[in-house]
Amino acid sequence: MMIVNYVGCFALIALGVYCMVTKHDLIKVVIGMSLVDYGANLMVVTVGFHPGGTAPIFTISELSRASFFVDPIPQALTLTSIVIGACTTAMSLSLCMMLKRQYGTLDTREIRRLRG
Amino acid sequence: MEQFWNEFPILSVITLFLGAFLTSLVGRASEKAGRVVSGIAVTAPLAMMLCLIRPVMLQGQIITYWLGGWEPVEGWAIGICLEVDALSLFFALIVTVAVFVSCFYAFTYMNHDDALSNYYTLFLMLSGSVLGLVLSGDLFNVFVMIEIMTFTAVALTAFRTTYEGALEGAFKYLAVGSLGSTCVLVGIAMTYSQLHTLNLAQIAALVPAFRGNTVLHMAFAFLFVGFGTKAFLFPFHPLAADAHAVAPASISLMISGVLTKCGVYGIIRLIYVLFQNANVVTVSYLVTGFGAVSMFVCVTMAFNQHNFKRLLAFHSISQVGYVITVAGLSSALGLGAGLYHAMNHTIFKGLLFLTAGAVQHQTGSLDLDRLGGLSRRMPKTTALFLIGAASISGLPPFNGFASKWMIYQATFTAGLIHHNLFYLAVCVCALITSVLTLASFIKVTQSVFFGQLPAEYAGVEEVPLSMRAPMWVLAALCLLTGIFPAQIQRFLLTPAVSAVANIPAYVDAAMGEGYAAAHGVPGAEVSALPVGGAWSPLSWLALLFSVTCAVAIVAILGSARDEAHEYISQTQDGAAGAKYDSFFSGEEAVYSQVGGSDLFWGFKHNWKRYFAVMQRWHSGIVNDYTLYGVAAIAFVLLVCTLAL
Repeated sequence: MMIVNYVGCFALIALGVYCMVTKHDLIKVVIGMSLVDYGANLMVVTVGFHPGGTAPIFTISELSRASFFVDPIPQALTLTSIVIGACTTAMSLSLCMMLKRQYGTLDTREIRRLRG
Repeated sequence: MEQFWNEFPILSVITLFLGAFLTSLVGRASEKAGRVVSGIAVTAPLAMMLCLIRPVMLQGQIITYWLGGWEPVEGWAIGICLEVDALSLFFALIVTVAVFVSCFYAFTYMNHDDALSNYYTLFLMLSGSVLGLVLSGDLFNVFVMIEIMTFTAVALTAFRTTYEGALEGAFKYLAVGSLGSTCVLVGIAMTYSQLHTLNLAQIAALVPAFRGNTVLHMAFAFLFVGFGTKAFLFPFHPLAADAHAVAPASISLMISGVLTKCGVYGIIRLIYVLFQNANVVTVSYLVTGFGAVSMFVCVTMAFNQHNFKRLLAFHSISQVGYVITVAGLSSALGLGAGLYHAMNHTIFKGLLFLTAGAVQHQTGSLDLDRLGGLSRRMPKTTALFLIGAASISGLPPFNGFASKWMIYQATFTAGLIHHNLFYLAVCVCALITSVLTLASFIKVTQSVFFGQLPAEYAGVEEVPLSMRAPMWVLAALCLLTGIFPAQIQRFLLTPAVSAVANIPAYVDAAMGEGYAAAHGVPGAEVSALPVGGAWSPLSWLALLFSVTCAVAIVAILGSARDEAHEYISQTQDGAAGAKYDSFFSGEEAVYSQVGGSDLFWGFKHNWKRYFAVMQRWHSGIVNDYTLYGVAAIAFVLLVCTLAL
């Protein structure tokens, strides 16, 4: 079943990158950035998944050699990474807002005063 | 053995982050209190890092600190650790010095701006994240620190929201930079899927058993590109140019002197310690190739620039290219040269950005075509700029010469030892780049500081001492590190290079004695760096003295006739052809000076096809820059999966 997840995460990343490269609307570029981020998050959480494992929530007394659970570390990483992703989106959208106010457009082909 | 300095790494990182929050608390009430807090917050880490020089650099200790006391259990690192070896400390010293200088410079430099408590908060968070990155012993912490670094850097780039292009530069940096951060995350996920650990030392110990593992090769590719993005290597360099040009000068110093160093640190740690594949021919070609292309493309791009700081930004990446180039050689001399140049780059580039900031602060402009003749109004800043320019161009006795000398030596030696034309070509490329750098800085000097003073800048004042003092600190460092290369090698470079070569010590310090031996970690002991790179300052001082005398005589004889033409009159400035008359004929030609941008018109003319292509290539469209980044990822992935 894991193969579906890996295909899914690379599909998400590819879609996001495609969006970032071809779309000229800044909002769509931001959507692309988020998609890439989600793909990466899916990948991290998939890496730590063991089919059939339980949730990694134990007290010290319950924990034994026989307990079989999914890897908790990637889940912690994913949580961190989701928070960071939300920050990226918030920050880039606020930059978009101010860009729209200053340049009067969100078209990437017109937001290119710095070049050459 | 518990020593009081074992707590210093974590304390220094905490000081900066705590300072950030305190500044935002007290800074709103009183700006002065905010300054005091940030002043303390940047001074304390510097002092702590200086204290660590003795145990880490001279006695060769490796300091490990497990957060919350979660030490490794049964050979698995379950906690988060800070691990400081000589390499980490070397970069931490660079970071803390740059942060210190930048903070004190900003006190006066930023006095035209408002919302300063936000500035210092972001600035301290940026500093804390960078310091945390170089001291971290945990791969995921590295990622978190990279993200904090990127965000705060983006926010600071756009700090002057009304400044022309600030938002645009920040957005491009954020969009393409986030692609790089995602690369790091994907690389971390792939590494974890194979090795099931995030501890740097444990990764280094486990990797030798996984030779030929394709997933790890892919992870390496992603991590390499991710760190490359943070170092703004080709093809990510347009981001740096955009961000530098619009950021406040004290932040430009941070971006060029500190953020790029994090990328450099990441790459060195990656290829030498984590994956230990620096001596694999493909990796060596890859790293050296990217470095060489960066240094050449960026130096030529600098020729076309009309913005002072944008020009400096391209040079900055060009110099980072040098560092990466020699880091890829996988020789002790090469790595030593790279570290030396990394340190020098922070010093001289920081100095140059600060002088650019001084010009901007006093004149309000960074346009090379409008500025001119400022040496009459700002002689002290001019002197500082000349020191920086001489350093970056590699003129003795400044530090750029010493490290570039080692770089030529390292590339040439690598070419000879391996009978390899590629490394020799890189050596030639490095020499040409250095010449072009010098040419480019002659242009800047002529455009900004010499030539005729436009009437609108006739009343410009020298910057206050509070801004000059940080610049003098950097200028003094430029000279000191240039005059005493042998001491720098002995006290800083050799320990750092030995730490990189001695992987078992790095592993054992974190994972317990004997862990490296149990996992068969190869380690080569580097006893002493060949000191062939050091030069003798005395003989060059004699040369410098005679040259200075010659220049002084010419200047004294020439200055007598100069007085009458100090200011360009408005009408003459307006006449389009006036400044080009010197190329042709006419009465004006005798007195009109060549504009800085026109100094190398012949060179530009001959290379116009190349420049036209490059101009088109740096289109300023964020989609294009993303595309280049994706192309780089694809290329590195392909090389790493097929050829490793």
